[in-house]
Amino acid sequence: MKQLFTILMLFAVCLASSAQSKRKQGGLAAKPSQQNKFLEKQWWLGFKAGTNLSEASPIKRYAVMTPTNYAVALTDKSYDSFSKTGSQATLEATFYYKGFSFSVQPTYRHSRFSYSNQYQWDNPENSSERLVLEYDQEQKIDYADLPLIVKFDILRSKLRPYVQAGIFYSLLINANKSVKVTGTDYASGGTNQFSNEPIIVGAKDLFDNYWGLMAGAGVDYNFGNVRVVLDASYWKGMSNITNVDNRFGNDRLAGIGDAQDDLDLNNIVISAGVLFPMRFLSNSFKTLDR
Amino acid sequence: MRSFLLLFTGLVLLAGCSNESDPASDKSSFTRIYDNDQFTASFNPIDIKQTPDGGYLILGRRRIQDSNFSGIYIMKVDEFGAFISEQEVDEGFVNPIGPLLESGGNYFFFCMTPVGLQTQLLSMDAEGTLSNPLSIGSSYPAAAAADGNNFLLLSYDNLNKRSVVSVITPAGAITQSKGFSIGAGDAVEEPIITHFLGTGRQLPFLVGRNTAGQYYFNGFYNYTLSLVFTNLTDDDPQGVIQGQQDDGGLSQVVPLDGGKFALARFNFGDNYFLPNATLNTSGISSSTDLGGFLFPELVSNAPVKILRTTMGTKKVALYGSDTRSSQIALYGYDESNGEYIGSSYLGFSNPFEIAAVVSTLDGGLAVCGTTYVAGRFPRICLFKLSKEEVAKSFQ
Repeated sequence: MKQLFTILMLFAVCLASSAQSKRKQGGLAAKPSQQNKFLEKQWWLGFKAGTNLSEASPIKRYAVMTPTNYAVALTDKSYDSFSKTGSQATLEATFYYKGFSFSVQPTYRHSRFSYSNQYQWDNPENSSERLVLEYDQEQKIDYADLPLIVKFDILRSKLRPYVQAGIFYSLLINANKSVKVTGTDYASGGTNQFSNEPIIVGAKDLFDNYWGLMAGAGVDYNFGNVRVVLDASYWKGMSNITNVDNRFGNDRLAGIGDAQDDLDLNNIVISAGVLFPMRFLSNSFKTLDR
Repeated sequence: MRSFLLLFTGLVLLAGCSNESDPASDKSSFTRIYDNDQFTASFNPIDIKQTPDGGYLILGRRRIQDSNFSGIYIMKVDEFGAFISEQEVDEGFVNPIGPLLESGGNYFFFCMTPVGLQTQLLSMDAEGTLSNPLSIGSSYPAAAAADGNNFLLLSYDNLNKRSVVSVITPAGAITQSKGFSIGAGDAVEEPIITHFLGTGRQLPFLVGRNTAGQYYFNGFYNYTLSLVFTNLTDDDPQGVIQGQQDDGGLSQVVPLDGGKFALARFNFGDNYFLPNATLNTSGISSSTDLGGFLFPELVSNAPVKILRTTMGTKKVALYGSDTRSSQIALYGYDESNGEYIGSSYLGFSNPFEIAAVVSTLDGGLAVCGTTYVAGRFPRICLFKLSKEEVAKSFQ
């Protein structure tokens, strides 16, 4: 995913350079009118919402269960990548100036990610004495994201594709965690498959604020005076989301052998919405039709 | 544009406050469960000591196939609680008893031979490497304590039916010893033997020395589990606090300053704490007259550990025991007046039982116990509480 992020950033820079040079060539012929000058600046305000997929990437692994006669790696958690959908809602305030947009997009984001681990106990001298347990753990975390984004419009037509990149800081709002324990007990006279009631705990103390970088692409469609937006971006967490002082702090989780790893949280965020212009030359003027 | 740059600067500053892992924090607070993947394996810790390298040495019992007694298990973990090594001691030595006794940079403990039932003194270094065992001679070691440079041992002499208190040097020589009759008949011996075999209730055998220099033991005397005071010279005890056969008596005794004691007692399943008690160390009295704070949340006839420690400027008697909800409970009392100062509960989801609680070099606590992984496999667990966590619970 780091490679994807680098490629997206390079793509954004290349497109920006390319579009800028094309614009300079075209711009020599046209003398800007008062209306065109006016249209070089614009404020946009709007709302968008959508879905996101999360990936938790371990920085450093921690465990309560400490093997004494088998490999430590067998206790490692297995993380799912971009398999759980979350959702987000965003307020967007954007200042447009000569093809570039500077955007503040406070976002309420609900993200989900999961991991699992498995333990097994057996008796080499009696194959029926065996127990297998699997722990499936799902995290649901709510963040208030504060991103600052720079966009560049590749085309200035009614359909305006753009690329964007930025930085964000995410404030933890809430978190909870559910653990489902399933198992197979071969020692009880048969193959006894069982599933325990999930343990659901508030887990805000286990997580913390974090920051990251984002890059992506999108498209605006000018629909009268309203701009319809669709964008997709990759949000790369750059700092640990785990509260390092509290990783063992929840007795219910530690009691079943769970400790929070140090994690980077990465997201693929897809949103759609509408933006409204804040500046008008006259009532009859169609701001977006150029 | 200026606002945007200001916001950008603010975000960069916030990003600087990132939340990176901290080795000091990893050392000061952690929870560990030491797992063995053998279905029939069973490990129960007895005591834990922090070694000079910051790691921990754990003495425990393990299930063995060829004896009615429990085998010996020694584990070394590092300062983060990470497993370093383990030793399943030869089955020629069984029934280890705590605590781990420190002397000359080594760690000692008593155990016995499975057939001759003779007491052995084993020593190891801070890495858990064992030295040659020393044969002590007396049978059925039941409790031990440090006494200056020497060790105190309470043992049961099954031939003469006596509770025996001995002073033993780290070289294995008995310098003083005195036996006290448990009473005639097999009935009085039965709970002692089932205690050693692990088939009966685990009895709170204790031995020690109070601030006045008197030796004491909590063991059977005259048909009853009693707290007995002796000078190890006279044939008769100097003082006896009688229990109710094996249904009542003292479950923990720790001498405090000024001739006081931090005590716990049990009586037909009930548990009482007496954090600042005065005992009659001469004559005969009854443990039921001592009173104390009743703890219905503890398991019947609960095992109790008491640690003398300092929290801030306060001397604290820290009690640890097992709750009916299968947690380890810690209760703190001001040593000077017995005033309650706080509590903390450890463990959840699976059952947890206390084995030992010790102070650590960083001002925190290490609590070692047994947990039943998956609700069934007895394994050693270790809770390391930071100084801040301890202060939050007990101040």
